[in-house]
Amino acid sequence: MTQPDNGQNKRASEIRSEVRREKLRLLISRSKRVTRDVLKNPMGLIGTAILIFFMFIAVFGTYLAPYKVDATKPGLFDSYLPSSSEHWMGTDVFGHDIFSKLLYGARTSIVVGTFAAVIASVVGATVGLFSGYAGGWKDEVLMRINDVMLSIPWLVLMILIAGLIGTISLLIIILIIGLTGWSATARLVRAQVLSLRERQYIERAKAIGAGDLHIIKTHILPNSFPLVFANTILTVAISILSEATLSFLHMRPYGSVTWGTMLSYAYECSAFQLGLHYWIVMPGLCIVFLVLGFTLLGYALDEVLNPRLRKR
Amino acid sequence: MSSPQKRSLRKMLVKRSINVVVTIFGIMTLNFALIHLMPGDPILNMVPRDPKLDPAVKESLIDKFNLDAGLLERYVTYMWKTITLDWGTSYSTMRPVWDVISYDMRWTILLIGTATFFTLIIGMAIGAMAAYRRGGAFDLVSTGTGLFFYGMPIFWFAMLLQEAFNSQLFGMNWWPQLPGGSYYDIVEYGPVFEWKLGLVLSVLEHLILPSLTLAIASFAGVALVMRGSLVDVMTDDYILTAKAKGLTDYQILRRHALPNGMPPMVALIAMSVAFIIGGAYQIEYVFNYPGIGYRTINAIWDLDFPILQFVVVVGGVAVVIANLLADIVLIYIDPRINLV
Repeated sequence: MTQPDNGQNKRASEIRSEVRREKLRLLISRSKRVTRDVLKNPMGLIGTAILIFFMFIAVFGTYLAPYKVDATKPGLFDSYLPSSSEHWMGTDVFGHDIFSKLLYGARTSIVVGTFAAVIASVVGATVGLFSGYAGGWKDEVLMRINDVMLSIPWLVLMILIAGLIGTISLLIIILIIGLTGWSATARLVRAQVLSLRERQYIERAKAIGAGDLHIIKTHILPNSFPLVFANTILTVAISILSEATLSFLHMRPYGSVTWGTMLSYAYECSAFQLGLHYWIVMPGLCIVFLVLGFTLLGYALDEVLNPRLRKR
Repeated sequence: MSSPQKRSLRKMLVKRSINVVVTIFGIMTLNFALIHLMPGDPILNMVPRDPKLDPAVKESLIDKFNLDAGLLERYVTYMWKTITLDWGTSYSTMRPVWDVISYDMRWTILLIGTATFFTLIIGMAIGAMAAYRRGGAFDLVSTGTGLFFYGMPIFWFAMLLQEAFNSQLFGMNWWPQLPGGSYYDIVEYGPVFEWKLGLVLSVLEHLILPSLTLAIASFAGVALVMRGSLVDVMTDDYILTAKAKGLTDYQILRRHALPNGMPPMVALIAMSVAFIIGGAYQIEYVFNYPGIGYRTINAIWDLDFPILQFVVVVGGVAVVIANLLADIVLIYIDPRINLV
């Protein structure tokens, strides 16, 4: 075989860059279409609106808050002040302004939820992909491990791990939630890969000598991505709830303001008896609406990205 | 049923049973790994960190679980002790772990059982109604409420209901007041449970609030799946045929859609056992209902690891058994199910 001359080389690189440009164009137009479809869907529209509101608070909340909050130190005010014009929702047991804390909590919740969900999705997708594609005994072993993870009630497992670790930081909370929450995603991705693997174009790709890595990269991954993406958004919602529950049951991340932690102290101090209703009602409502926002967006994305559901 | 079908049915049951044994084995192993491979001294994890503890008790604990032996030896001892229910001593109560857990378990099963019953009734009724009047006002409202409850922290809802139904604070005496804690009136009947009418009634009265809270917090999942699977079925061709035959909507729902919409429901019920256990933990904590969840949360504060690690095993085994039961039920109600 002769070496291709310079002209051919140049031609090949031109084609390659053109392909790359075309792919990018396709990706952009596709995301535009998905965004439009999601916003047309009433669930998607409401979900997006809720999330934009909370994102705004997550980014600017600490500047909007009337008072600075440092969770590692006691606050500047008396404890249990009733709501007034200075403190809209009163002050808590540490003498922190409850309204300010509420604004601070948005960032923590979104950060914990997002990172934990991304960890869970990456681990779950990797396990599911490998398991579904490899098949055979490797699949069997991984799925038995997955069964174990799915069987242990998530809260009990997280509580045991948190108890063993002792002192808990925000990072540890993220890791605990992410690393215990991947099994549902793994099962979902595995099922998708199993059905993709049997498609004809994969067989054709194999016939012309494509390697496993190539097939996974160009066919299986892009085709499983929409499923994983919608699922990740739904996992964010579950992770936010998990964080709140762990914080409420005293596995509070040290030095961070979270809505779960606020509720935990409010419960212990019997906030209702003290007349500080906002202390219990507001953090709970914030959690409900944030979770609702992610759930609605997740369902809408699922409907748009996974056309099987479209007929409903 | 013809004989090859029977054979494949048997084959499937054997395969499922083997999976169950393997999964339970895996749960026990994971549990061992958590305690023994996590950073920190396993002896410190298994033995009370209380400096006032009698050294003899400590010695007996180390002895019992072979804690100063090698990893493999410890693993074998642990597995054997777990299988024979010889789970050591809980050092917050100084009673055998199995006794403590099996006593608490009864109360938790009572709570979870009652709650699941209500969850299914509420969830399936609402889901079926929503599917029946798909796109109507009821569908929109129930799906919206369902999603709202789905995103709600269960403990928060428990706090609100406890406040609403168990507080003299706002002079709400005209409102029905329900006991908001414990599993029966201990002041009147004493700490030992007996089968007396008054006591049983007291148990039921104390059960209302926690079980309803749990049911309301978890009905949404059931309703959404029920609606989804019914809508799926309702778009099938034979429903159209039934309509053409002149059956009323109610008859179609009752005779054609419901039976065919059931399989996903059974699978969901089994899967939601893990969720309901998680919910029961929060409810028990808020309502001071002394079941396994309440015990577990106290065990964390006391660092009572013998209790903690076997609670994981008990919870895992419960979920595995629920799934096996669901599989068996599925085979009976859906003969088309894939037998391999």
